[in-house]
Amino acid sequence: MRWRKPKNEELMREQPLNRICYVEDDEDIQRVVRMSLERVGKMTVEVVGDSTRAIEAIIAFKPDLVMLDWMMPVMDGPAVFRKMREQAETMHLPVVFITAKASQRELDELLVMGAAGVISKPFSPKNLPDQLRGIWHSLP
Amino acid sequence: MTSPNYSTDPGRGSANISLSQSADPRRVLADRVEQMYGQLPLGIAGSFVISVVAAYELRQGRYVEIVIFWAGLVLLLTAASAGLYWSYNRSTTKASEAAQWLRWLAISALASGATWGFAGAVFFPSHADEQQVFLAFLLAGMVAGGVSIYAVSWPVYALYAAGIVFPFTYVLGTFGNRLFGEIALLVPAFYAMNVSVAWRLNQVFDSGYRLRHAYGKLTEDYTALNQQVERQLEELLQAQREVDSSGRKLALFAERSPIAVLQMEQNATILEVNPAAEILFGYAAAELVGRNAIRTLFSSENPDLNKAAWNSFIETAKPLSLPPTGCLRRDGIEVICEFTLTPLVNEFGALISVIAQVRDVTQVLEADRLKKEFTSTLSHELRTPLTSIIGSLQLVNSGVMGEIDKDAVELTEIAERNAQRLLDLINDILDIEKIESNKFVLSPEDFALDALVRESLLLNRGFAERFKVRLEVSGEMPEVPVNADRKRLLQVLTNLISNAAKFSNEGGAVEVSMTVAGGTVRVNVGDRGAGIPEEFRNRIFGRFAQADTALTRQKGGTGLGLAICKRLIEAMNGRIGFEDREGGGTLFYFELSVKYALAQAQE
Repeated sequence: MRWRKPKNEELMREQPLNRICYVEDDEDIQRVVRMSLERVGKMTVEVVGDSTRAIEAIIAFKPDLVMLDWMMPVMDGPAVFRKMREQAETMHLPVVFITAKASQRELDELLVMGAAGVISKPFSPKNLPDQLRGIWHSLP
Repeated sequence: MTSPNYSTDPGRGSANISLSQSADPRRVLADRVEQMYGQLPLGIAGSFVISVVAAYELRQGRYVEIVIFWAGLVLLLTAASAGLYWSYNRSTTKASEAAQWLRWLAISALASGATWGFAGAVFFPSHADEQQVFLAFLLAGMVAGGVSIYAVSWPVYALYAAGIVFPFTYVLGTFGNRLFGEIALLVPAFYAMNVSVAWRLNQVFDSGYRLRHAYGKLTEDYTALNQQVERQLEELLQAQREVDSSGRKLALFAERSPIAVLQMEQNATILEVNPAAEILFGYAAAELVGRNAIRTLFSSENPDLNKAAWNSFIETAKPLSLPPTGCLRRDGIEVICEFTLTPLVNEFGALISVIAQVRDVTQVLEADRLKKEFTSTLSHELRTPLTSIIGSLQLVNSGVMGEIDKDAVELTEIAERNAQRLLDLINDILDIEKIESNKFVLSPEDFALDALVRESLLLNRGFAERFKVRLEVSGEMPEVPVNADRKRLLQVLTNLISNAAKFSNEGGAVEVSMTVAGGTVRVNVGDRGAGIPEEFRNRIFGRFAQADTALTRQKGGTGLGLAICKRLIEAMNGRIGFEDREGGGTLFYFELSVKYALAQAQE
């Protein structure tokens, strides 16, 4: 349980946010996000297009934070999120949803599920790295 | 009432008493008098003829002068009686003065009787035997004949007969002949017998007349009753016609109604259905009638209208609207229906039957689902490409991609601005769709409005600067607590301030102020722009309302902002409006109730 070793947790969050794994089916958005995070945020980004292969990609890449699109074919964001929570390797990774769903109810749903944050589409690529860092540093 | 009883004794039957007594005695008297006058001509004529015969027979006696005198007396009396008869017939007071006419008749009867009494008294002693017999026979005839004429009123008869009998009796008694003396004793007895017969007849006539009148009255009553019954019957028929026609009207309504109507018994047995119900459920009316509606029409596992729910509806006998409920058509297709159940109760509150109006909402629900799906698609499918477009353009325009040609940047900036406009439009359409479909829920909370106004000024500063417009607070900003949806109110404020900034002249200022009066707080957002064109004023809060399309292209905006503001403020029970500012420009304002409880709590 994470809250039993708070010191480690705090240390971890004080580290800069570097490695992001982004699961998204739309190739154009993939590219925009990659450029935003790499060029503006100076981060290392791994993009996964096929959500069914997301878990193995995440385990292989070992990101600091995972960004999930909600609406994806075959396996949507919440499904990936649930699967992550079932796997020991991905269980503790903070997850930020990035979604075009605008309704407050749906956004609240994600937070209740345990998402670290929600960024709504369309996002501003100029501000996206800062938004992620804000969420990252506010984590316990 | 028993059949009419012509008893001469009014005391014999109690039914008769009540019947006879119900007659008006004055009218009975008037009738009796009328009958007596009716018989008078016969009396006059009979009396006159007999007088003439008598005068002729008696002329051979010693006193011819007396006979002539008597004959003159008879003529005179006949004329007087005829005159009486004539004046009675012409009279208009026959009924009202009946007693007086009777008295006149009594006088005439007495005079007539006395004339014959005079004849008996004068001519009996002075004539020979045969003539005496003739006279006695004549007098006896007159006494007896008078009964038929005068018996309707026995006192009149008694007077008449007394006039004849008593002078004659006196003459007989004083004649000195023993036989005549004996006859003189018998004559009063004969008189008494006649009077008693007259009395009896009088009773009979009286009773007869009373009965007649009672019957007349009865007939009148009966006629009146009959008329009343007839009237009531007519009213009843009219009422029935009205009921029939309204029944027909109702039947016609049901017949032509596009909504299915079923009439059911208490146990949900179907009594009647209209054509719409046949079409809706796919059954013929004859198939449905007699069946149980719950078992026949509802899908088997229906929690909405199980036996218990139906029973409680029957018990309360109150109209009930069911939520959309699954029903099975005859062909097995499921339809979703809305039921409105109306109990039909009589005037005593007892349930007669149940009327169900059924509306097929399958398509409505499907349309609703499609609309929702469309909205969701609009939301997702349009935002996704826009995310790429705006994101790409933003990255280019922000310069992180390196130096780009100035002309190219100008174009990408136009592209970004318009992509942003498209996004705003989508957001606003989704917003207003949500508000208008009544699906949006306000989250009211208590907060200080002045703080929110300050926050909105801060948030919109950047936007205003793009138009080289300052945002200023004018006057005091009182601390005002309100209960409203904070986020939505911020949306309204942002809309009003950004609008004001957009339509201000370069270098101008948007003035924001707050006033509190009578439990209402008003927030004003004023500009010094060109004002609102006259022809645009009445549709400024409508959808896609923009005064100048050229200006829109230049300054952006979807034309939905104010429409959203109005709906939001009204949803918060507030008021929104605008007015011209003195010295030019427009002032937009909204008013909300001050939340007093919070104000007091804070004190």
